[in-house]
Amino acid sequence: MKLIGIEDGRHEFLLTRREKDLLLLVLRLYPRIPAGHQPLSKTRPEEKANQRLLDEALAEARMENKKALEALLSDTKRFKQQGSGWRLSLSSTDVDWLLQVLNDVRIGSWVQLGSPEQPLKELNVRTAPALWAMEMAGAFQMSFLELLKA
Amino acid sequence: MAETATPELVPGTVQEQKSDVKSELEPGYLVICWNDPVNYMDYVTHVFQRVFGWPRKKAEFHMLQVHEQGKSVLARESLEKAEHYVHQLQKHSLHATMELDG
Repeated sequence: MKLIGIEDGRHEFLLTRREKDLLLLVLRLYPRIPAGHQPLSKTRPEEKANQRLLDEALAEARMENKKALEALLSDTKRFKQQGSGWRLSLSSTDVDWLLQVLNDVRIGSWVQLGSPEQPLKELNVRTAPALWAMEMAGAFQMSFLELLKA
Repeated sequence: MAETATPELVPGTVQEQKSDVKSELEPGYLVICWNDPVNYMDYVTHVFQRVFGWPRKKAEFHMLQVHEQGKSVLARESLEKAEHYVHQLQKHSLHATMELDG
């Protein structure tokens, strides 16, 4: 994946066909983090009303992200074929949103693996799908962040 | 008996003292980001920049505090603002909570 330029505030990325297919495959796993996963407070768990409001706000944000994702996946203009690769055009807001979605897939997959403190030592049929999703989402996140930093 | 001179008060000074007292009385909430083994350091820096509008250096400072000390206090705010920040940080899947200060 390459950042080929920034035009009118939009980031123009160039992906190979395989990168595009993999990115779409990872994005289709969204949302991955279970609802109610995050506490609002560690010391005041009694604040149930505020916790409920936070859970509702996060659920709403997830629904909006899901809609935006479906729009991205069905928008044929977002990905334009260029040579043997694909050009992806994203605004700064889109990039932040895409990173959010990828991180949800990464963290949600990690939660599915039992939230291990250390990297998994054993790869087996049970853990492989979640580990693949976690690492692949992370690889795309890092690629986008590296390109933006450069 | 000589009169004690009354100190001249600049209106702005009185206003400032009042607001200081008020902020001390209001309960403050700390917005805290906790370390976890899965979020990337670059991503955490990016999120701090987006959510708080911080320059990269400040965002990196807090990211390193999370990484090395297990947590970083990112802000002290009113209940509503603290909730807003926690929501934004959790929307980005960071491990963030708000705790009553003191």
